[in-house]
Amino acid sequence: MAPVIQFKDVVKIYPLKSGDVTAINHISFSVEHGEFISIMGPSGSGKSTLLTMMGCLDTPTCGDIFISGIGVRDMNDTELTNLRRDRIGFIFQYFNLFPLLNVIENVNFPQMLKSQRQVDENKAIEKLRAVQLDERLYTHTPLELSGGQQQRVAIARALINDPDILLCDEPTGNLDSKTGASIMELMSELHRKGATIIVVTHDPNVAEYTDRTVRIVDGRIAS
Amino acid sequence: MSGIFWEISKRNIRIHMLRSSLAMLGIIIGVVAIGAMGILGNSMTQDISSSLSSVGDSVIVTPYSGSGGMGPGGGGGGGSSQNMYLSDQNYQQIERAVAPNVAIPVHSTSEHMSVGVGSTDIEATIYGLPTDKVKDLLPTLQSGDYSNGNSGCLVGATFASDHNVQVGSRITIGQDGEYGTLRVTGIIPERGMSFDISTDSAIVVTQDWFENTYNDQYEYNEVVVKVTSGTTAGVTTTIEKQLNRNTREKTVTVTDSQATLATIYSTFSTVTLFVTAIGGISMVVAGVSIFNIMMMSVSERIKEIGIMRSIGTQKREVMSMFIYEAGIIGVVGSLVGGILCLLAGYAVSALMLGTTKYLFTLSSMSSVVEGVVFGIIICIACAIYPAWQAANLNPIDALRHE
Repeated sequence: MAPVIQFKDVVKIYPLKSGDVTAINHISFSVEHGEFISIMGPSGSGKSTLLTMMGCLDTPTCGDIFISGIGVRDMNDTELTNLRRDRIGFIFQYFNLFPLLNVIENVNFPQMLKSQRQVDENKAIEKLRAVQLDERLYTHTPLELSGGQQQRVAIARALINDPDILLCDEPTGNLDSKTGASIMELMSELHRKGATIIVVTHDPNVAEYTDRTVRIVDGRIAS
Repeated sequence: MSGIFWEISKRNIRIHMLRSSLAMLGIIIGVVAIGAMGILGNSMTQDISSSLSSVGDSVIVTPYSGSGGMGPGGGGGGGSSQNMYLSDQNYQQIERAVAPNVAIPVHSTSEHMSVGVGSTDIEATIYGLPTDKVKDLLPTLQSGDYSNGNSGCLVGATFASDHNVQVGSRITIGQDGEYGTLRVTGIIPERGMSFDISTDSAIVVTQDWFENTYNDQYEYNEVVVKVTSGTTAGVTTTIEKQLNRNTREKTVTVTDSQATLATIYSTFSTVTLFVTAIGGISMVVAGVSIFNIMMMSVSERIKEIGIMRSIGTQKREVMSMFIYEAGIIGVVGSLVGGILCLLAGYAVSALMLGTTKYLFTLSSMSSVVEGVVFGIIICIACAIYPAWQAANLNPIDALRHE
């Protein structure tokens, strides 16, 4: 089976007026099915660039990226968008739920993008149960929820299309330590059930939950 | 799929109700302006056309006045005329040239008269028409019958109502009754403005009475040709060829009522278009307001757009969200504007034309529909660029936007 994510000699250069900036410098690595990985590194080391490329929000300047064996380098915007929708789940530091939609609608949103017309309403409830969100909150809007509850909804939304990978950008960065720990427990539980999870974090406590830590320094893998 | 974006658009309008309402107000004003101006213009055109349509099949021949133009109706052929009257020979030529169409010689003059005993002096136009051809020019009567003797006359509807004249009333002609008394045998229905003869405030007598009274034999003020065979343009050309052979010294001025009507309608259409365009300016202003609001909406929702794009929303789906929003504002605003412009059109028509009978005609209603459709199109068109801009935001930059 092909790795879920495979980077082959990937370089990302941002051309700026003041001179080109190399954010990712010849990185090669792969993530296998069911792995739980943390990516750590100082600010400006290239963690976020790596995450955006793993999430198909950006393409490499050179080198190749494969998501579940599919090369993304020559994909157009529509194909990349479909890949994000079908195979990748995003979890953000600031939860990034849609304030106009209630909990169920937020969770269903990616499903509606995918299935166009028919949405399995039970699937959203199943995912919300999996993230242990109180059923009484299902019709609430995000502004009526606590940070931890919002992050649980965001995780349920990321899981709704059964993606190959969960990409998490500082998932506990905006939560208190207790809530952060419960979210990481939830991630570990998802990992035990077979999910492939990649977490970008500054927090060593978060990294402790993962199987492997990739350290990035100056756009290169340090360890 | 469109369901969720439709829902988001509706909710976004709801949470920004004041802003959305102001945008709708702009559209409402624009639709009302276009619709009401269109209704007014169309009502004016229809009002004029209803007055003139009865004379649309006539060709009027008057003595050549040197400066052209039409000079019938009021007695005389124009101030600077070289010929004051058409001769009987002219009439015979016209009659032969236009056959089988009917040529009707018309005498006219302005005269003092009074109705009944002790009534005030009235000054009105008297037309003299041949008895055998009066029905060709005035085919129907409101009441009474055509006079069959020299002592009878017909009166116009306005003359009758203004001076309380009925069938059987007697009208004394001349300053001191010097031309005798005529008995009213019939009342001519209202004809409005006419190119041939304006009978509403006039009286019509027999040709014999007119010629005997004014010693005006064989001199006509005009000849009216009722065209039943061929076209008015063809008859006009025929008369021109027959009577104006000498291009340096023309004999007659020939007026084609159809051509004149067409010119009038064209002028009114231009006026309608112009006033509607003035209304359209307010719609353009409303469009700018929609554009501004949609740009604000995009800039407020950059982060949201970034999230949508990152979790798999296509560009066209992002675009649709903003187009729906503008569409809702456009449809609601335009429909409300459409209803209000009927009220505005009613008020404007009643105030300016004195009648609202043309409000629910096809052309007036089409002005309302045009206003509504234009409102919706403007709204959607003004949202296209902001929607396109939203769809083409870089998802990474949009996600980082604070």
